[in-house]
Amino acid sequence: MKWQRKDILAIEDMSVEEIRHILHTAKVMKEILMRPIKKLPTLKGKSVVNLFYEASTRTRTSFEMAAKVLGADTTSIAVAQSSVSKGESLYDTAKTIQAMRADVVILRHPSSGSAKFLADILDPAVINAGDGQHAHPTQALLDIFTMQENLGKLEGKNVVIVGDVLHSRVARSNAWCLQKMGVNVTFAGPPTLVPVEMEGLGVKITHDLDSALPGADIVMALRLQLERQKSGLFPSLREYSHLYGLTTERLKKTGKQSIVLHPGPMNRGVEISDDVANSVDALIERQVTNGVAIRMALIYLLIGGSSNVVA
Amino acid sequence: MWWLKDVWVIDPSQKISASRDVLVKGGQVLEISSSLTEKEVLEKAQGESLETINGKGKFLFPGLIDVHTHLREPGQEDKEDILSGSRAAVRGGFTTIMAMANTQPPIDNRALIEFVCRQGERAGYAHVLPIGTVTKGMLGSELVEMADMKEGGAVAFSDDGKNIQNSEVMRLALEYAKLTGFPIISHCEDKDLAGEGLMRRGVASGRMGLRGIPASAESVIVARDLILAEETGGKLHLAHISTTESVELIRKAKARGVDVTAEVNPHHLIFCDEEIGITDTALKVNPPLGSRGDREALIEGLRDGTIDMIATDHAPHTQAEKARPFAEAPFGIASLETALSAVWQYLVLPGRLSLDRVIEAWSDTPAQRFGLPGGSLKPGTLADMVLFDPDFSEVIESAKLVSKARNTPFLEKTMQGFPVMVWVEGRLVQRDRTVI
Amino acid sequence: MEGTIKSKILDADGIRRAVTRIAHEIVEKNKGTDKLVLVGIRRRGVPLAERIQKYIEEFEGVKVPLGILDITLYRDDLSTIDIHPVVHETDIPVSIEGKAVILIDDVLYTGRTARAALDATMDIGRPERIQLAVLVDRGHRELPIRADYVGKNLPTSRREVVAVRLKEVDGEEDILLLERDDINIK
Ligand SMILES: [Zn+2]
Repeated sequence: MKWQRKDILAIEDMSVEEIRHILHTAKVMKEILMRPIKKLPTLKGKSVVNLFYEASTRTRTSFEMAAKVLGADTTSIAVAQSSVSKGESLYDTAKTIQAMRADVVILRHPSSGSAKFLADILDPAVINAGDGQHAHPTQALLDIFTMQENLGKLEGKNVVIVGDVLHSRVARSNAWCLQKMGVNVTFAGPPTLVPVEMEGLGVKITHDLDSALPGADIVMALRLQLERQKSGLFPSLREYSHLYGLTTERLKKTGKQSIVLHPGPMNRGVEISDDVANSVDALIERQVTNGVAIRMALIYLLIGGSSNVVA
Repeated sequence: MWWLKDVWVIDPSQKISASRDVLVKGGQVLEISSSLTEKEVLEKAQGESLETINGKGKFLFPGLIDVHTHLREPGQEDKEDILSGSRAAVRGGFTTIMAMANTQPPIDNRALIEFVCRQGERAGYAHVLPIGTVTKGMLGSELVEMADMKEGGAVAFSDDGKNIQNSEVMRLALEYAKLTGFPIISHCEDKDLAGEGLMRRGVASGRMGLRGIPASAESVIVARDLILAEETGGKLHLAHISTTESVELIRKAKARGVDVTAEVNPHHLIFCDEEIGITDTALKVNPPLGSRGDREALIEGLRDGTIDMIATDHAPHTQAEKARPFAEAPFGIASLETALSAVWQYLVLPGRLSLDRVIEAWSDTPAQRFGLPGGSLKPGTLADMVLFDPDFSEVIESAKLVSKARNTPFLEKTMQGFPVMVWVEGRLVQRDRTVI
Repeated sequence: MEGTIKSKILDADGIRRAVTRIAHEIVEKNKGTDKLVLVGIRRRGVPLAERIQKYIEEFEGVKVPLGILDITLYRDDLSTIDIHPVVHETDIPVSIEGKAVILIDDVLYTGRTARAALDATMDIGRPERIQLAVLVDRGHRELPIRADYVGKNLPTSRREVVAVRLKEVDGEEDILLLERDDINIK
């Protein structure tokens, strides 16, 4: 296929063909990551800027490594989380970056829509590394890449995403990505965190996790932000983990050797029990490699050829 | 003297909607007749110079009265000031505007009321009538000196921009305002339900991960204020009604005889939440755009009189403030210059509302409710009036706007139907879309 | 094809003879098949490598290991080519440590593809030696690179295009010399 996208902002507006193309390219990248020498000359002289308004060592390092393996130079700009209305606005920062002549800008920002906001201003390509509660496309792509490695063809498979869906960009991006690939997606959690309007994403919603588990090939637990309890969205961690915590016992209800994923970092003993967390940990090394491969694929697709360079 | 020939006059205060000739002399409407001969007109001019306007195909109606504008002066003159706001008003067909009190500092005493009045007079375009706050510093606890502020020129009281959360303070305000005969204008927003919300809670907010504001954030307060108005017998005006439930509550309250009026903003009649894109800060407004169903209920409410008036809620902001990610941009749409045209194009042309109803809701009814001059073309009244050309089309361009603000969803769009001449007290202040 | 056909350089029979000869030379020069790893450069190098593998098996009775190399990510002209190149997998099923790697491609021209293939190979492992086999050497080198095995030396002008067609890829089997229609030479 002919790649024509300037930016990676959300899965929602991507075609199935594009997603497949990204996954295919990532497979090649993963093979390269398995080589003794993980360094390509592909993007020699290109520059990748990491612009992170939220601390996330994992995501930032993954992008940095992806850029470096492809031979690009990387610069990281970390902006204090608190300075939303004070100080330099994202618009001002964008103008500075424009002057730096970056080729790709990776943005992590606490406001939904900030990635599109930046992409509309900037000539260089923008990759959304998480914008508020809106989208986290690279996480969704790496999750689906891992699922594909484990399950092969994903069409017709069942995925249950459990937890604080309302505030989760990972849940939103995964729902779009999985459904485009023909997967059945169910959101499970308390009505305060899985409100009825989430059906607008095309998924099934339920407040009874146990009834959603039978037949699930993948169960994904979301990180529970502990401050949500203070805003009254659920009464206690105890009751939450009783109803929605993933335990070995509960996972038997799937009737399958289901795979458990978690975008991390995990609250052990809250959304996930210790032993289940260990099974997630076992996959972590693979998830990290897959994350770099996906991000290499995206950076390559965005700036690897001249057809996408915006004059 | 002005002679407007063969113009379609809409004046709900006199129940006129017909082709007429209108004479204006000495700042007042002199006469509205079926037809006049040149000889008759020259006789009435008594030697005064005469300008004749062919009004064929155009409408003449009373200058619109906007009961809800934010002019930002004093304190936020980078967004707007009384001069620029009142120029924007006459460019958009408004000859009287009520200035909201949530400035910096808020208009909570007579000196500030008089300041706003004076600035309005100095500007010399639309009549600028100040609304005072309900509580000192708009802090929601102690009532302002309402009687004194009335003396100074206030026409109503409102803590708009902030809801009075304390129900007892609201009850007291409705009681005490009886001394002035003025309504309390309620902003209708439960602070806790609205939370940190950015747009109406629904499928669209869920999809985009933009924090939602439930419809109940408004309706709960509408219900409370209606009950308090009924209990106290006070006068209540509900600002920017945007939900189906609110319309229903008002309809029932009116049937019980509660002294309540309500306004709706053009944007709530035109847009809905599904149309908001994740970077469309021009559509970020409070109360937020509702569902399709709400839009229908609001139009129906305006048609059947449950909703009494249209008001712009003109809320100017700087470009830098709106050029931010959605969550960080301020709420508000600057609409004085586009509101009438938008209502014409999106509601009157498709047959959703009659122009007569629009003019009634935007001139006569506000004048009656707030006891204001204007809103009528009765002979002997001051000639605040608008000549509206339904065929005039214009691209909404930054360079043409006279407001300081550019935060309108119609920017760069072509719109049709504009006021092409506007008079304030018989003085022409706008001609061919240019403010004089 | 991007031009007008001037002449047919080789037909199917000619290609068969040339590839068979290369297969023999590879075995001879490396004194047997012990250390051989054949690596086809995508795309037309791959069927050529498969054929060489088959010929060697026919006359030596040994199936030498075969790999596929995709050099897209090693090209130094990525930002000057117009169409976004799709990357494919590199698949070399055996370790190349200490082996004799034979890179196989259809046409040797500027030498840039061969250089990229050398880089890619050396990122994968450390072979004892690397040799290059091509079906056609058309000259005009821009880098100090030469082929160890050549099916056909073909002096050309830069205006000309050498089209190798293999039945596995193109459905046809021949080598043609074409004249470019447009004067715009990349
Ligand atoms: Zn308000």
